[in-house]
Amino acid sequence: MIMNHAKKIFYYIGIYIILTFTVLISIFPIIWVIISSFKTNAQILSNPFSMPTAINFHAYQAVFKQTNFLLYTLNSLIVSVIATVISIVIYAMAAYVIAKYDFKGKNLVYSLFVITLLVPAQCKAQPIFSLIIDFNLYDTKTALVLVYLAAGMAMSLFILKSTFMSIPKDFSEAAWMEGSGFIRTFLFINLPMAKSGLATAGILMFLGNWNEYFFAMLLTVSPVNKTLPVALASFNETYSYNYTNMFAALTMAILPGIIIYAFAQDQVTNSLVSSGIKG
Amino acid sequence: MKSLTAKQKNLIWIWAFLLPCILVLLLFYLVPILTLVYTSFTKWDGANAPVFTGLTNYMNLFKANDFKAAFINLLLWSALAGTVHVFFGTLIALILFKEPHGWKFVETVFMIPNVISMAAWAMIYRFVFNGSYGLLNGIIRIFVPGFAVNWLFQSPYAFWAVTLTWIFYAVVVTLLVLGDLKAIPTDLHEAARIDGANEFYITMKINLPLCRNSIGTSVICAISSRISMYETIALTTRGGPGNDTMNIPLILVNAINNSKYGYANAAGMVMLLLGIILLVIVNKAFRMNESIY
Repeated sequence: MIMNHAKKIFYYIGIYIILTFTVLISIFPIIWVIISSFKTNAQILSNPFSMPTAINFHAYQAVFKQTNFLLYTLNSLIVSVIATVISIVIYAMAAYVIAKYDFKGKNLVYSLFVITLLVPAQCKAQPIFSLIIDFNLYDTKTALVLVYLAAGMAMSLFILKSTFMSIPKDFSEAAWMEGSGFIRTFLFINLPMAKSGLATAGILMFLGNWNEYFFAMLLTVSPVNKTLPVALASFNETYSYNYTNMFAALTMAILPGIIIYAFAQDQVTNSLVSSGIKG
Repeated sequence: MKSLTAKQKNLIWIWAFLLPCILVLLLFYLVPILTLVYTSFTKWDGANAPVFTGLTNYMNLFKANDFKAAFINLLLWSALAGTVHVFFGTLIALILFKEPHGWKFVETVFMIPNVISMAAWAMIYRFVFNGSYGLLNGIIRIFVPGFAVNWLFQSPYAFWAVTLTWIFYAVVVTLLVLGDLKAIPTDLHEAARIDGANEFYITMKINLPLCRNSIGTSVICAISSRISMYETIALTTRGGPGNDTMNIPLILVNAINNSKYGYANAAGMVMLLLGIILLVIVNKAFRMNESIY
């Protein structure tokens, strides 16, 4: 009995050490960055654990004044939102017909769509680079929208296809009996019922676009088209001796993702489970 | 639904609905991949037409020191991803499955590094590993005063610094395995307990074998993320010191920047093929095509 009790205590100490470690590695670096953004440069350099002596937002104001931070944020927002909206529309359309109709060539088309999951985005870097130059879209936001559209194809189709499949076909049949056409059945019967799947796919796409660095780095150069992750990387040179500002910029860059997660935790979790793409 | 399918009118709508998606597929997958395959056998600078050179790009690639280093790094990283990373994620899943106090909090927090940009994450780690004022050295100095290692710029520490930016961040593994664990019928556990099996036995002989699909998927995800790992290297060590942290995507981007497009695409082909080989091997090893129940 005593042995069992001791064993239990060791077991709980063990698992809580592991869980504490997990929590610390997940948020401590972020908290450290946020706290550091309120310290002076001298404080940052002298002791990584010192606490800020005063809370003020000078560094944040400085980032907005000294860089085009607002512009980069807007660029990121514009590119991410447009790419997300367009991709949700086109993938919802494709997923809908694949889920609800039988037609010749369906399996082939669907396999081609989802096999794209196996293609690492980076391996297409040069062909896409040339394609964008051929389209005369190098260094434009449109180029990024197009590339991001394509990026979420397989995952969005997975999520949306299973969503549409879970909608009982009685609804479509009833609508069809009443003389509702193809488009109406899609827009007014099925689409509203697929809201949760659309939200999951949308959040997955948006987060992916908002955080994307590789193609943004490859396809844009001028400040009017740079997105936040690329700009952030260049702040490294701008702020090589002003760490407070660098930490403030980093804080502002990571907060939107965390805020979206805070408000849509389930969707983010679901989308990550169904994708397993990052990390 | 059968009555709908026969309609010719519907067929037109069906293909109209598929058209945008097919266009994206053609433009951003099929054309790039055909370009990739073809031009990887050519000398091409983007300005002039590609000239067929056979396997020259591949030969040069396999002879290059940075590629050799990248390949060895990738083997090591893949081994670590398939073992330590997946093991850690699975361990957390097994713990959370028992729902100890605070499990929901841990699950929530564990996800946070995955919702922020890899570029930002790389920048954060730049500061964590900074030799003078970094977080890691700050912690180590509590125990070892005067400790000074410049993690990202000193061999062999740089390799391990880059490794630490991902190895324990296994939330995707945790969530995938947790999903499989929750799908195990509870009477299986009850039957085992009645037969006198202890918790360790249940975990090893019942739970883990039944999670082999999600663990297999995790191994594939974890290793393919290593094949395409770019930001956490490009924004920290840039492949250095020497070629200590080199990876194939960095070689590819360098080649693009030097207008060696054929060479870049040979590197791209290697990435693509490695991903496919990985999928086949893991599928076989975990018998992922066989049904479990």
